Order: sequence, then C-alpha cells, then structure tokens
Amino acid sequence: MWSIPSYLLAGMIVYGAIGWLLDRWLDTSAFFPIGTVLGLMLAGYLAYRKFSR
Amino acid sequence: MSVLAEVSGNVTAIGYGLAAIGPGIGVGIIFGQGVQAIARQPEAYGLIRQNMLLGFVLTEALALIGLVAPFLFSNL
Amino acid sequence: MITLTAPAHGDEFSAPTPNELFDLPPLIPGVEWFTKPVLLAVLSAILVIGLTWAAFSKPKLVPRGMQNVVEYGYMFVRDQVARPFLGKDADRFMGLLVTLFFLVLVWNLAGVIPVVQFPVASHIAFPAVLALSIYVLKIWLGIKHQGLGGYFKNMMFPPGLPKAIYVLLSPIEFLSNMIIAPFTHAVRLFANMFAGHMLLAFFSMVGFWFLFEKLTPLGAPVGIVGVVMTIIFTGFEIFIQFLQAFLFAMLASMYIGGSLHAEH
Repeated sequence: MWSIPSYLLAGMIVYGAIGWLLDRWLDTSAFFPIGTVLGLMLAGYLAYRKFSR
Repeated sequence: MSVLAEVSGNVTAIGYGLAAIGPGIGVGIIFGQGVQAIARQPEAYGLIRQNMLLGFVLTEALALIGLVAPFLFSNL
Repeated sequence: MITLTAPAHGDEFSAPTPNELFDLPPLIPGVEWFTKPVLLAVLSAILVIGLTWAAFSKPKLVPRGMQNVVEYGYMFVRDQVARPFLGKDADRFMGLLVTLFFLVLVWNLAGVIPVVQFPVASHIAFPAVLALSIYVLKIWLGIKHQGLGGYFKNMMFPPGLPKAIYVLLSPIEFLSNMIIAPFTHAVRLFANMFAGHMLLAFFSMVGFWFLFEKLTPLGAPVGIVGVVMTIIFTGFEIFIQFLQAFLFAMLASMYIGGSLHAEH
C-alpha cells in the first residue's frame, strides 16, 4: 500500500515523457497533458487491481 | 495605484501548496472513515479496504496532477 | 536554540533560509568534509553500537537494566516491522532491520536534543546511502531467489490482470520498482526531517526575535505565540521522527520481502 504513490508517479512520468516526445516531434502541444492524465489513469488502475486483492 | 501585497519568487510553488490542501484533507477523511468502518465491521475488511484504496488512488492522482499543473499550463 | 537563531538580519525580522540552516561550515578549518552532520552520524553510529553492546554482550535469561530497554526495541522491530512482511524469514534479517531502525531513530532524534539540534537525515546524502544499499540488497536477493529472468518477469508481469493491457502497464511497473521506489524511500525521510527542522527553526526564531532582540508591546504577543508553537511542534516533531524511522525500516523490510517471494 505504501508504494501506490510511486506507481502513480511512475505512470505519470512514463506516459508524460511519451507525450512530451510526441509533442516535440510533431510540433503539437496536446499530447503532454493527455499522456500525463492517461498515465495517471493506467497507474491508478494497476495499483487498484494489484493492491485490492 | 500603490501595491498592498506582492508575491516574489516562484509562484508555481504556492500553486502546488494550495493544490495539495484538498487531497490532503481527502486522504485524511478516506483513511479516517475507513479505519472507523473497519472498527465497526471487521468482517467486511476486504470490501472496505478495496473501496478505501480506490478512493485513495483517485485522491492521490489529484495531488499529483497539481504537481505537474505548472508544466501543463506553461505548455498550453 | 542559540545555534538556530544566531544570524542577524539588521532591523527587520526575516525567516531563516535553508542556506544558513543547512549549509554548515567545517568543524575543523581546512577539513572540508568534516561538518556537523558527519560528526553526528559518526557519534550516533557509536551510540547505537554501544547501546546494543551494553545490552547484548552478556545476555541474561531474565533481562535487567539496559538489556530490558533494548530488548523492548528489538521486540517492537520484530513484531511490527519484520514479521508482517518477512514471515518466517524474519530472523535472518533482524540484524539489518534493527540496525536501520535504531540508527535512523538516533539520527532523527538529534534534531530535538538541545545543543545538538540537527537531524542528520536532513542532508539527503545520508538517507540516500541507506536507501541505495537497501536497493542493491533487494535486487541481489531477488535475482538469487527467483532467478534473473524470473525476478524481472514477476516484477513486470503481475498476475491477475487482463492479458492485453500488460503492454501498457509493464513500463509503469518497471519504472516504479526500479527507480521511483528507492527514490521515494530516501526522499520521504529527507523531506520530513528537512521540513521539520525548518519549521522548528522558524518558530524559535520568531520567539527569539520578538522577545529578546526587539521587545515591543505589539511584538511581544507574537513572540509568545512563537515560543508556544515551538514547544508544541517539538513534541510533534518527536512523534514524526519516530514514525519516519519506523517507516524507513518498514519499507526496507517490505522491499526485502517482495524480492524473497514472488507475489501471488
């Protein structure tokens, strides 16, 4: 249970980084926020499934 | 017009400080009520723990969104 | 309090900055690395060794004196820290966990002991070294007990999730376990001690400034509030310091337990 914040941070960093790179390559500015929120959702789902058993 | 009060330094730090108030209260309420619920009905531990974790994950996500909000808004 | 309130700021009150609180000059001129936290770290290590030596060098069946006290701490670490996460392997790692708990506790308590008044863990190098050694031990134990491939497979592909989503979740799992977890392990202790020391310094500075340096009728109540808050927050800090030492040892035992047995 103590590692939930680190899961959320990791999800945000992974998908936020992917979104940031996409933004850099495609000259857009939308993928970074989308990636950050998507990563948070995925990490939250993972933490929920993993720890609620 | 004379300046009554001014903020110097990095404003995003104050922003995160303000953004962390809500999730802090929320996490406190979730675990407080969760412990109370477990104390009242120890046999429902699994169900209470599951919902407590769901609430904790959602609230913690808000706090972490606050952490990246400065980068997000400087980008848009 | 004298070490905390020494700097003079002219005529106006200003809060102590991190630089003047944590950037301490060397104790012996010319020896750059030998500062106050280093001295305190060495002294606490000697204190912990001495305490446990006095308690357990000639153990008796019916404990008395020092053995009684330290045995109580040992029991606390065994029942609250080691057994919930390590199960029957708890006794193998008791040496490590007791050392970690007592060392971090003495480091933290140095923040509220008068005259000493510096939590060693508020310099990030000290908790970082402890967290790094736990991290190396965690990976080594995991590879030894589950095999190189098995360890990473168990870590990155936890059972009980839909098959298709593993592609999305494995990077999160890897980053969380390999980089973020040791980082938060160290930062949690560091940040608590840093913030606690800043808070205490600020309130004692308020009290010192408004009651001793510039005593005015309007400023005196503020100074009294500062002194009262210093007392309250000192008590609160002792609680936080104990809790952080407990949490540091508990996370260490959790990581070790996680690499001894695969999750099922």
